[in-house]
Amino acid sequence: MKLFYQCIAVAVVITALAVAFVPGVDEYVEATAQGFVGSWAR
Amino acid sequence: MAMIKRLLTVVLCLLLIPATAVVTAAVKQRFADGPNRFFSGGPLIAGEMHAGAEPNWSFVNDIPTIEMQLVDPPRSRRIWTVEHAGKLYVWSGYMQTTVGRWWKGWPPQAERDGRAVLRIDGKRYERQLVRITSGQALDGICQAITDKYPSRTTRAGVEAGDVWLFEATPRS
Repeated sequence: MKLFYQCIAVAVVITALAVAFVPGVDEYVEATAQGFVGSWAR
Repeated sequence: MAMIKRLLTVVLCLLLIPATAVVTAAVKQRFADGPNRFFSGGPLIAGEMHAGAEPNWSFVNDIPTIEMQLVDPPRSRRIWTVEHAGKLYVWSGYMQTTVGRWWKGWPPQAERDGRAVLRIDGKRYERQLVRITSGQALDGICQAITDKYPSRTTRAGVEAGDVWLFEATPRS
């Protein structure tokens, strides 16, 4: 389980850095979130 | 029981990754000059501020979305707009659903303090948002909305509070 937690921690950091600094990733995240929330709101 | 607890922990940990992505994207947008598409943006900085006579707003009927920032709180979002009878309107739907009320935070804020800045085609306009909840004009406004967008906005929806409609009046 300890290895799993370490992997999750690394994945969270990589995700945050990718969304913050890699062009297009934030756009993808935003479009996906918009799709989910839009369908939930109906 | 221990197995279920461990499974739940794994699922929560995995959900942490998309949650991190969403939160990071939302925070990043807050520091931007304006919104992108879904997350609120920061104050509208760029663009000449309109001064002078009231514009002929009919040009907005050819524009899919505009950027709108409230003065308080100074956050911006991208919204639909329509012109009808020489007046400019913005609105928010889903106001009687739980997700809609959580998602659309700006209408109650605009009702408290209607001072807003619109950015349309790169030009900024200072406006005062005034909520409209009834009146004969709603028929024409809703018709203009459904003519422009794939929307089911109706006068009954506005009067029932499902759609919050605002006229963007000149700020005096």
